[in-house]
Amino acid sequence: MNDPCILIVERDLLVRTPLAEYLRECGYLVLEASNAFDARILLEDGSRRVDVVLAEVPSGEASGFALASWVRRHLPNTQVVLAGTIATATEKAGDICQEGPALSKPYDHRLVLDHIQRLLAARDRNDRA
Amino acid sequence: MVPQPLPRPHTARILVVEDEVLIRALIAEELRLAGFSVIESGRADEALTYIGAGEQVDLVFSDIQTPGSLDGLQLAETLHGQYPDIPVILTSGNANPKRAGIRGMFVPKPYDITQTIALISEILAQKSPGKPP
Repeated sequence: MNDPCILIVERDLLVRTPLAEYLRECGYLVLEASNAFDARILLEDGSRRVDVVLAEVPSGEASGFALASWVRRHLPNTQVVLAGTIATATEKAGDICQEGPALSKPYDHRLVLDHIQRLLAARDRNDRA
Repeated sequence: MVPQPLPRPHTARILVVEDEVLIRALIAEELRLAGFSVIESGRADEALTYIGAGEQVDLVFSDIQTPGSLDGLQLAETLHGQYPDIPVILTSGNANPKRAGIRGMFVPKPYDITQTIALISEILAQKSPGKPP
């Protein structure tokens, strides 16, 4: 049987990569998209059945909601999880991990959030330098 | 301060830069099946930001034509100057490597995934003899 598959939709590579790596260690097959357009391409490609779409949707951004609406209409068996902040996305990833195929979590999801925050801080410092 | 790594065993980390999401997903999946850890980026500029944030990257496999403020050639040049330990393999469907001034490794598109993975493995083996992927 194939591992359950999660599609992460997140614009920022420094956020998306740690989340994706965490979920892979929880036993999921993880697809990555940086925006709703690419997410649609992966979903419509159909070579993988996607069980869950996890999307970080910053407030005021409509594309994530449009994607969720499209998924509900065209892929009713695919669950959509929308998160408004990085912290919520990480927490939701922790919940998904708990239900994942691996027997136990590789590490606490709060470590993932700490890691992301350190990366973002490093980027800010580099941008200022 | 350099970000602390997550607790994971060392596997070679390949940064794939490709804006075509289906191509990127395919090569990334094959590399993961081969035992590599893969970072997927659609833009050369964000790939450079990722490395600049202190994340470990052992090799970059990049398309030449990428959106954003940097293309694959400029990414390779910048890495050559700032991170000379990170080998770069460039790929393209329409660039003539000689005319484009590519000095390093180049794989024309469409590339054979098995051969490309073999090339990546070989480069990493030369870089760190005796280390598994």
